[in-house]
Amino acid sequence: MVGLDDLPVPVSNETLGRVREALTPSPRTIRNLRKELRQSGLAKLGIALIVGVVLMAAFAPVLAPHNPKNQTLDENQLPPLGFDRKTTNTTTEMVNGSITIVNQTTWVNSTVEHPLGTDSLGRDMLSRTIYGARTSLIVGIVGTSIAALFGVTVGLLAGYYSGRIDDVLMRSADVMLAFPSLVLAVALVGLIGTASLRVPDPFVVVGLTPNMPETFTLPGTVIIVVGLVNWVWFARVARSEALSVRSEEYIKAARSVGASDRHIVLRHVLPNSITPIIVLATIQVAAIILLESALAFLGFSGTTLSWGFDIAQGRQYLSSSWWIATVPGLAIVSTVVGINLVGDWLRDALDPGIEGEGGGP
Amino acid sequence: MRTVSTGRFLLKRAIQGLFVVWGVVTVVFLLRFITPGDPVTFIAPLDASQELRRQIAAELGLDRPIYVQYLDYLTGLVRGDMGYSYISKTEASTRVFARLPATIELAVAATIVAVALSIPLGVISATRRHQPVDYGATLFSLVGISTPNFWLGIMLVLVFAVQFGLFPTSQRGIGSPQIVAELVYVTVQDINLPFVGRPGTGAQLVFEPRMNVSAATDAAVTWLAHITLPAITLGTYFTALITRLTRSGMLEELGEAYVRASRAKGLPESLVRYKHALRNTLAPVITVVGLQLGTLIGGAVITEAVFAWPGLGTELIRAINLRDWPIIQGSLIVIGVGFVLVNTIVDAFQAYLDPRVVAD
Repeated sequence: MVGLDDLPVPVSNETLGRVREALTPSPRTIRNLRKELRQSGLAKLGIALIVGVVLMAAFAPVLAPHNPKNQTLDENQLPPLGFDRKTTNTTTEMVNGSITIVNQTTWVNSTVEHPLGTDSLGRDMLSRTIYGARTSLIVGIVGTSIAALFGVTVGLLAGYYSGRIDDVLMRSADVMLAFPSLVLAVALVGLIGTASLRVPDPFVVVGLTPNMPETFTLPGTVIIVVGLVNWVWFARVARSEALSVRSEEYIKAARSVGASDRHIVLRHVLPNSITPIIVLATIQVAAIILLESALAFLGFSGTTLSWGFDIAQGRQYLSSSWWIATVPGLAIVSTVVGINLVGDWLRDALDPGIEGEGGGP
Repeated sequence: MRTVSTGRFLLKRAIQGLFVVWGVVTVVFLLRFITPGDPVTFIAPLDASQELRRQIAAELGLDRPIYVQYLDYLTGLVRGDMGYSYISKTEASTRVFARLPATIELAVAATIVAVALSIPLGVISATRRHQPVDYGATLFSLVGISTPNFWLGIMLVLVFAVQFGLFPTSQRGIGSPQIVAELVYVTVQDINLPFVGRPGTGAQLVFEPRMNVSAATDAAVTWLAHITLPAITLGTYFTALITRLTRSGMLEELGEAYVRASRAKGLPESLVRYKHALRNTLAPVITVVGLQLGTLIGGAVITEAVFAWPGLGTELIRAINLRDWPIIQGSLIVIGVGFVLVNTIVDAFQAYLDPRVVAD
């Protein structure tokens, strides 16, 4: 048994180098990925969707036709191109000395200015959808990274040392699992409060897009909480991988020549566990994007530029302006479909033998 | 031999479950101390004096050391006492358990929808590979696992409630027990549960037949109208997930040697597929579904929010916004314990389906 000071917690440059090495795919892996990509149209669609969303998020200030926060009240609830909205204008008129109420049906037409319509405060839906991609992607990627870092560390330690450390870590993972991640996230964000971080937008700082919001709001609490409620999945996968390799001959050999535990874990155990962790991470980005949208929908978010937030707003205008809730939802579905397709592609390419075997009669 | 090891396996699971329950209770109790904000601030009037604040804290027992509060809470829980709501001053356990049936009803309805649709769909998809029905099922399951259920719920309301007026937009309307109540009126007299309540003569169920068939039918229609959209909203993700798992599991099993052997010896194809391959497919499917139970409960919370469904999730969110700690703690404990309980049952069921599980 080794002392706790050997645990690979402090991250040095050397450690980072090894992790980078572990993450570098082998030529065979790259061949498999290419082969699978050539054969699968769905994988290509997934990559196209993700590239689209990433570009939207990265160049939001350039792509958005309007400032997503600008309210133009006289242009509220404009329908998307190709649709119109019926409203009833009620006016009172004096006719022969008595007041009569006149109900007049008018049609609100769409404008090219707002191709996806506007919300109840006249904010441009297209611009809000483009900016929403930022929130979703940042929360998804940073949240997954937090979950992976924490979960993989715990899982590798539990699996590699097994015994009492394993018992303690895995029982606490069981306790975590007993709370659905959404319930835990709602409780934590609701109780801690929604702290947010305003990051200056580089495009506006440089002066390229002066009309866009100067800062972008990162929902800080949400990012940390979605990471913390999802680490268990990484811990489980990393642990079972570590358990399966720890009794291999080469690990014993490494130990017998006097390699430190940190060396063995980073050099041998982690690289051998990396494939399922990457596949899991991909799926987790999708899960966390869904989680973020749910939190924003319930009002537990630190930002108003979020797809889930817009859906919650649009819900109140369902009978008059269906697009306010519909458009951001379609954005979520396309993003998550894209990520799931890429997840399937990675799983099929990196883990041959799970699917594609067998076959019907 | 098998029964003995299965029994030990279940006992071990139950003991593990108890430990997890204790962990759940402890985490939930500690939550109040690790999150910012003093509960008294939320209860006391804005201009309350220090004296009044101290008095409120003392009344709620919040001025005692943590371990005393912890032990007090634990002993209370064993007796089914979760404290009193800070806001309404009623018993927290009564409030929480009053909301539980609505959530269970929703979760069960969603599970029924999911299982009834997904397993046939997965099997058909696997046995008719590369045919339109397979592509359809694959597309459905891809979109199904990628759709946020609250948005799906809103879209269903938009189409079926707002546009066509086929279903009500929200609320529970009527509980399923009320349908039965129109037929048989059941009253419970003098409950005497261990640890709870006062000594009595024991629980007595009194049945009083009513047979209001038309009223029962009306109630059933109302119930069905209200639960259809929420059940589909909550069930779609699971339908998609189980379809996916069943399909890939069936494909894998159908390629196994025993399937070829069964076909070679002339067993009817239906027997090979449904008795052998499907049964072996279901065990891993149940494992994943058991692990995803949390998603079901989490999904119920948000589905309740969409449809104003008066369940535990609605109560929890309300309590979080008001910092009504006894209700927050009670709801979280019920959710956590419920998860552990159902998971243990799933494990037992799985051990029955696939005895190899016990060997691990």
